[in-house]
Amino acid sequence: MIQKTGHGDMKLTLEVWRQAAPGAPGKFETYEVDANEHMSFLEMLDVLNQQLVERGEEPVVFEHDCREGICGSCNLTIDGKPHGPRERTTVCQLHMREYRSGDRIRIEPWRANAFPIVKDLMVDRSAFDRIQQAGGYVSVNTGAAPDAHAIPVAKQNADMAFDAAQCIGCGACVAACPNASAMLFTSAKVSQFTLLPQGQPERERRVLAMVETMDEEGFGNCSNHYECEAACPKAISVTNIARMNREYARASLKRR
Amino acid sequence: MTIADSPAGSARLDSKVPSGPMSERWSKHKFDLKLVNPANRRKFDVIVVGTGLAGASAAATLAEMGYKVKAFCTHDSPRRAHSIAAQGGINAAKNYKGDGDSVHRLFYDTVKGGDYRSRESNVHRLAEVSVDIIDQCVAQGVPFAREYGGLLDNRSFGGAQVARTFYARGQTGQQLLLGAYGAMNRMIEAGRIEMHTRREMVDLVKVDGIARGIITRNLSNGEYERHSAHTVLLCTGGYGNVFYLSTNAKNSNVTAAWRAHKRGAFMANPCYTQIHPTCIPRSGDYQSKLTLMSESLRNDGRVWVPATKGDQRPAQDIPEAERDYYLERKYPSFGNLVPRDVASRNAKTVCDDGRGVGPTGEAVYLDFGDAIRRDGRAAIEARYGNLFEMYERITGDNPYEVPMRIYPAVHYTMGGLWVDYNLESTVPGLFVLGEANFSDHGANRLGASALMQGLADGYFVIPATIASHLAGRVLEDVNTEHDAFAEAEANARGRAEALMAVNGTRSVDSMHRELGNIVWNYCGMERTAEGLTEGIAKIRDLRAQFWEDVRVLGDPNTVNQDLEKAGRVADFMEFAEVMFHDGLTRDESCGGHFRAEHQTEEGEAKRDDEHFAHAAAWEFQGEGELPVEHREPLSFEEVKLTTRSYK
Amino acid sequence: MNPFVRFLTSSIGRKYVMAVTGLSLTLFLLVHMAGNLTIYAGNQAFNDYADLLESNPLLPLAEAGLAGLFLVHVAFAVGLIARNKTSREEGYKAELGMGRKTVASTTMWVTGPLLLVFLLIHIWDFRIAKELVEEYDLAEMVVERLKSPIGFGIYVTAIALVGLHMWHAFQSAFQTLGVAHPRYRALITHTGRLITALLVAGFGGIPFYLFFLG
Repeated sequence: MIQKTGHGDMKLTLEVWRQAAPGAPGKFETYEVDANEHMSFLEMLDVLNQQLVERGEEPVVFEHDCREGICGSCNLTIDGKPHGPRERTTVCQLHMREYRSGDRIRIEPWRANAFPIVKDLMVDRSAFDRIQQAGGYVSVNTGAAPDAHAIPVAKQNADMAFDAAQCIGCGACVAACPNASAMLFTSAKVSQFTLLPQGQPERERRVLAMVETMDEEGFGNCSNHYECEAACPKAISVTNIARMNREYARASLKRR
Repeated sequence: MTIADSPAGSARLDSKVPSGPMSERWSKHKFDLKLVNPANRRKFDVIVVGTGLAGASAAATLAEMGYKVKAFCTHDSPRRAHSIAAQGGINAAKNYKGDGDSVHRLFYDTVKGGDYRSRESNVHRLAEVSVDIIDQCVAQGVPFAREYGGLLDNRSFGGAQVARTFYARGQTGQQLLLGAYGAMNRMIEAGRIEMHTRREMVDLVKVDGIARGIITRNLSNGEYERHSAHTVLLCTGGYGNVFYLSTNAKNSNVTAAWRAHKRGAFMANPCYTQIHPTCIPRSGDYQSKLTLMSESLRNDGRVWVPATKGDQRPAQDIPEAERDYYLERKYPSFGNLVPRDVASRNAKTVCDDGRGVGPTGEAVYLDFGDAIRRDGRAAIEARYGNLFEMYERITGDNPYEVPMRIYPAVHYTMGGLWVDYNLESTVPGLFVLGEANFSDHGANRLGASALMQGLADGYFVIPATIASHLAGRVLEDVNTEHDAFAEAEANARGRAEALMAVNGTRSVDSMHRELGNIVWNYCGMERTAEGLTEGIAKIRDLRAQFWEDVRVLGDPNTVNQDLEKAGRVADFMEFAEVMFHDGLTRDESCGGHFRAEHQTEEGEAKRDDEHFAHAAAWEFQGEGELPVEHREPLSFEEVKLTTRSYK
Repeated sequence: MNPFVRFLTSSIGRKYVMAVTGLSLTLFLLVHMAGNLTIYAGNQAFNDYADLLESNPLLPLAEAGLAGLFLVHVAFAVGLIARNKTSREEGYKAELGMGRKTVASTTMWVTGPLLLVFLLIHIWDFRIAKELVEEYDLAEMVVERLKSPIGFGIYVTAIALVGLHMWHAFQSAFQTLGVAHPRYRALITHTGRLITALLVAGFGGIPFYLFFLG
C-alpha cells in the first residue's frame, strides 16, 4: 500500500524565486506540483525537482541538510513567513497537511543585504559566522580546564543559558525582521555566556566586539517589533535582546 | 575474492598498540611519542576536512597548539555538521553519581557492547579521556543539564547500569558542537585557522606516498582548488546514506573517505552498521530521510503488533487478547528494553511476517496507553512532551490518543577507514577521526558513545599522536604546483565532467533510492550469503546503469546540487560493493552484522571468535576490481569473551 | 575609538538615546497635560497657570532643554530609519509578517515626522503667535483655535498620532534600555498603554470639550 509515485491528491501551485547567480536579476517561476499531506515541505520540493529533471529543466536550489530541525540550513520564506505558517518550526519540519489542495504558495529566500542570494533560494549567511568569530566563545585552551564540578551553576541560570544556546543560526530572525536586524541572533550568544560563570572574564569584551561586528555586517537596527521571536524555530525570547542592550551599555561604561 | 594474509594478520596493518598494562598504555604512548617543538609548530600546515565534533575539536586544538590549520566543510557554516543532530548525550566515567562507575567499567561496557570486535587499547584510551572531555566542554560554557545544587546531572542511557550520560536536554550534540565551533571561531579570529566553507574534498593528494594535500571543489562556483599541507585529517563522518534512507543528514556522504580509500587508505569493517529501533516510519516513496525518536521512549512505551496477519483494524479496536507484545513475550526479563539490534531485528521479523501496521506495513506500535493510565498524562508529558510533539508534527497522529508507529532505521556506521593507535590510516600522513574511522565501537556502538569518540579523537588523541608523523618523518617542501596535484585535480575534474556528460534520463535521487533499497534489503538488519551475493550483482548492474542513464542538469560552474549529489552517489555505488564483500566474508554474526545463517536457537547473533576475532581492512584494487582483504587480529586481554543474553 | 563615540555610533547606543529622550519627552507630555487640564476650571485658571509658568526665570532654560530633547530624538531617528530602510534593498514580494508587529510599531517612522510637523504648528499657534501681538489672552487663543474646524481637526489628529506613537514607544524604550524580564514584560506594556491612554484622554478631551461644549 505504499504510495507509488509520491504524488498525492493535493494539487498545488508554487511561485518560486529563481535567480541564476548573486546580483543577477531574479523572478518568480510558477510550477504545478502534486503532493500529499504526509510529505514534508522539502519533500514536496523534492517532488518538484524530480519533475523538473524529468522535463530537462534545472532543479530549484534550496539549502537543507538534517531535515529534523536542528542544523539551521533550511531558509525559505513561505507566503511572507520565514519557515512558514507554523510557529516553532523549521521548513524541514513543516508538513503539507498545513495546506489544502488548490493552494497557491509563494516561496522566497531570506532577504537582507547582509544575506546576499547565492542562487535561487540559497543565501550567504557567513555574516553570522563573523559575528560569532568576534567573541561568541569562552577562551579556554584544550586541556586547561578545571574539573567540571569546580564550576557550579545555579540551575535556573543554566536553564536560561540553555534556552538562549538553542539558537540554530538559521537566520529566520533577520528574515522576519522588518529592518533585517540580527539582534536576536547576536543576543542569544551574548546571553548564554552572560548567564554563566564561564563567560564572566570576557563579558565586556565579548558584547562590544560582537555588536560592533553585527553593525559592520549591514544588518538593520532593532525596532522591538518582536517578529523575530515569532519566527524563531526555537522560540528564543526577545528578553535576550534586552539583556544584550543592558550588557552593551554596562560594557560601554566599564571598559575603556 | 582474495584474502591477502594468514590468520596471523597482515604485515600491512601495524596497529602500533603500545605494550604494558592496559591502564598505562596511553600515558606511556604519549611519553614515547616524539614532540614537535612549539616554535616549529607554525611551520606545519594541517588540513582538517569536516567540522563536526571530531573535525572542529581537532582544528581548534591544533591551532591552539600553534599549528597552521586549514579547515574545510561542505556547509555554509562549520556549525551545521551532522553531529549537531545527536540527541541523547555523552558518556564519561566521572562517577559523579557514586554508582560504581569507573574508567574500567566504561571500557568494559564498550568492548562488550561492541560485541568483542573493537581494539581494547583504543577503547581504554577512549574511556580514560572521556572525563577530560566533560571538563573541557563545561569550561567552554556548554550548558549541560544541572541539578538544583548547581552540579551536573547524569542519566542512565541505552540500558547502561550506571548513570554516566551527560546531556543538554535532547540537544546534546548541538551544544557540544557549538562549543567546538566556538573554540574554532576563536582560532579563526586569531588567524590560526583558515576556514573554507562550501568546499567538498574531491581527492586526496599523495607525494612520495605521503598524504600532502587535497583537491576541493568550491560548491559556490564549481572551481577546483589545490591545498597542500604536511598532513591531512579526515573527519567526514559515516556512510549511513548508502541506504538512502537513514537518520543522517541529506548531505552526509562517503566521498572524502572513499576517495582516500582509492588512494590507498584501507576500509575496515564496512558491514558494521547500526540500526536504531525507534524511528518514525516512512510514509511513502517520496520519503527523503528518517527521523529518530529518542530511545528513552522504550522505558514507558510497550511494543506490539496485531497477533494475526493482515489485521487492518485501528489500534484502539484491537482487544488486548489479540495483541502480540512480542518483545515482552520473547525477552521476559529485558522486555521492551532489549538492545538496539535485538529490538530492530524483531520489528523486522514481525513485519516480514505480515503483521506490520500503518499504510506501508513497515511499522510496529509503541503504545503509551498503559503508561498514561498508570502514571497519568501529565507525568508522561513531562517525560516525553517534546518527543510526542515532534511525532505529531511529522505524522499528524496524537500519541496520547493512538499508539505511535515506529520502525528501525540506519543510524550510525561503526566501520570506516582503518587507523592505527595514532589514528593514522594506511596512507602515511592521513589521519582519520570520529565516525569516519573504524576504531572504537567494534560491531555495535553503545548509546551516547559517538559524541564521546568524536571529541576524544579531536581534543585529546590527535593533538598528541600527530607528532608521530610530523616529528617522525622527513617531509620535503611541497607546493600545489607539484605534478601530483595536477594529476589529482584532473582526476576529480574528469569525474565530474563524465557525470555531466552522461545526460541520460534518470534523476540522481531516483538511482540513489534504488541503491538504498538494495543495501537495505540485502545488507540491512539481516544478511545471508545468498542475499549478499545477489546484492553484489544488483549493485554492479545499477552502477553500470548509473553511468549510462543518470541525468545531471545545469551549469557545473555555479551551485549545482545535483552534480554534488551525483558525485556522492557514484561513490556510494562503489562503496556499497565493498560493504557487501565484507558482510559476505564475515561469515558470523556480531553486533550490527546479523548473518541469518549464524544464530542461536533463540535467534540471537552467534559469533565465531575462532575465525573472526579480527578487523577486516579492505584494499582498493581498481574500479570494478575485487578488493583485497587484510586482517588485523584482535586480542582480548582484559575483557573475557562471552555471549550476550537478554533473556 | 573613544568609548563614548563608539557607544553613540553603535546601533544599540543610538537606540539608547532614542529611549532616554523618548521617555523624557513622555514625562514632559504628562506635565504639559496636567497644565492643560486647568482649562476645565475656566479660562482664568488656565491663564493663571500660564502666567505662573512664564514668570519662572528658569523657563528659557527648560525650553532650550526641551528643544534639545526633541532635536536629538529626531536626529537619531533619522539615522536609524535611514539604516533600517536600506538594510533590505531587495524586498519580499509577498507581504512579510509573523503577526507580532503592530500598526503602531510599523508606523513610528511616519507618526514621528507627522508629529514634528504638528509640533511646528503648535509652537507657532501658542508660542510664537503671542510674541507678535501686544496683548493676548492665552485661554482665548486656545478656545478660538480649537473651535475652528481646521484647528480642531489638526489637534485631534495630532493627539491620535501621539497615542499611536506612544502605544509602541513606551515598552519599546524599556526593552531598549534593557529593563525587561519575562515576568514584567506584560506589566511594562500595560503601564505604557495606560499612560498612553491617559495622555490621549487628557489632551484629547480638551478639543472635544471646547468644540462641542465651549
